[in-house]
Amino acid sequence: MKFSTAYLALYNAAQACGWAAILVVLAIGVAQRETPEQLYDRAAPLTKLVQGAALLDTLHAAVGLVPSSPALSLMFWVGRGNALFAITEPIAALHSSWWAVVMLGAWAAAEVIRYPWYAATTLGACPGWLTWLRYTMFIPLFPVGTIAEMALMWTSLPELQSRRLYSLALPNPYNWAFDYHRFIQIVLLLYPLLWWQLYSSLLRARAKKLGGGSSKGGSSKGGSSSGTSGDGSRPPAADILRQETRTKLLKVQ
Amino acid sequence: MKLEVVSRSGRSIATLDVNPDSTVAELKKKFHGLKKTYYPARQRFALPVKAGETRGQVLSDDKRLSDYGLTEGGKLEFKDLGPQIGYSTVFFWEYFGPLVLYPLFFFLPQYMYPHIKAPAGAPQHALVQKLACAYWCFHYAKRIVETFTVHKFGHATMPIFNLFKNCGYYWGYAAYVSYFVNHPLYTAPNETVSVACLAVAVLAQLGNFWSHIILSGLRKPGEKEYKIPKGGLFNFVTCANYTFEIWGWLLYSVAVQSIPAYLFAATGAAQMTQWAIAKHNRLRKLFDGKDGRPKYPRRWIIFPPFL
Repeated sequence: MKFSTAYLALYNAAQACGWAAILVVLAIGVAQRETPEQLYDRAAPLTKLVQGAALLDTLHAAVGLVPSSPALSLMFWVGRGNALFAITEPIAALHSSWWAVVMLGAWAAAEVIRYPWYAATTLGACPGWLTWLRYTMFIPLFPVGTIAEMALMWTSLPELQSRRLYSLALPNPYNWAFDYHRFIQIVLLLYPLLWWQLYSSLLRARAKKLGGGSSKGGSSKGGSSSGTSGDGSRPPAADILRQETRTKLLKVQ
Repeated sequence: MKLEVVSRSGRSIATLDVNPDSTVAELKKKFHGLKKTYYPARQRFALPVKAGETRGQVLSDDKRLSDYGLTEGGKLEFKDLGPQIGYSTVFFWEYFGPLVLYPLFFFLPQYMYPHIKAPAGAPQHALVQKLACAYWCFHYAKRIVETFTVHKFGHATMPIFNLFKNCGYYWGYAAYVSYFVNHPLYTAPNETVSVACLAVAVLAQLGNFWSHIILSGLRKPGEKEYKIPKGGLFNFVTCANYTFEIWGWLLYSVAVQSIPAYLFAATGAAQMTQWAIAKHNRLRKLFDGKDGRPKYPRRWIIFPPFL
């Protein structure tokens, strides 16, 4: 087995285990009727770890180890990272919000399908039902997660403003001002648009993958982005660089 | 001979009766006669995809139909490139915005920063702000002049959507950078360093202009093929024009010490790098040293000593 295949299989399996643990913790907690704050305290530390580590998905795409778009992967990671690290973590009131639990739950439910699918596809042994799950469960889970993220951002606005979090005022030596509160307001306006771009590309990928006819012999989407690479707008130059890197990496074994 | 024009999904669009010796340009005129919406600049024809290809070979306007081995009953794939706009038109508008927008913040702060109580009298600017404004305007004026006197465009048109995309980029960044560099609460950095940086930046602009002259002279009128750039920095760097451009904006950013300026420089550099890698690889693939073709020399791509 190639080293890169083993590495990817291991990485995706590790992510799958992490997210499974989060889902189990949340499920047990909900069954025991814990408060949102208790649920968050249980699930957040591990979530921060695996979601932070998911930056590797972008790295893999950037060096050509997987065929996904690094730009899409990074956008996805930044969106989630913002919701978890920048918005929910620092604002204590959000820890007792059910929206935080919904967000973590939706993320975990989607990832316990996506990462095992990547692992199985990398090893060339992906069962049909797993592919079906991977290309179907996003349909309810993705909007739920997105709405939860938006709800948390919306609720955070007053505290972002009063605490002036991550903001910079003039005058300063960087000759720049940044109002994070205003920034999140703009992000909230753009979120539905960005969400739709990702969602519709997933729907198209679903049609291609599941919608009847010959599948062109497993294009190994052992990749790390939920976005499809088939929208034809990827610049060729980046492709060339990535393909060359990929060739060099694969030659190593 | 009769040629069948099909869409990329295989649907038959039209049948054209053409002379095998006629050029692709003449074919496009004929097609325009049949389908009034598709003026020639919007048309793209390609041969059907052959085994082992991802895309069919695109037909070049100046070649003859017989050059592509097209015979009676041959098929051509048609793609509508969408409404087109001239390259120089787009270039003019995308550069005109920054030329006009940037000085607005410099000369009319009372309107551009209405929330800041301005001290009475003429706006107070540090020397670096004045020189930066002059540099910025000189840069975009130069670009407009080059568009109409120096540049020779490989394509005549581009999709009209690009007008809005490109203007959004240039005008947006012009406002973003200018807002902060000309802000009443701007903190001027060390004047000597700033002036020195802008002076070197002007030299970079001259280097960029010289590079454009060299590129413009590569093809004689009527020539269409790629040439190996030579002369000036091109002897060492494939995209020497981009090298000078990146240096210019880097030095501008150091001179004004403003994050938006660095962001602008970085974004431009990233885009130019993508283009440079593609161009470098295209030239290396073309000039492979076989069949009497010269071998493309070992060169930096865009920014020694890094790439």
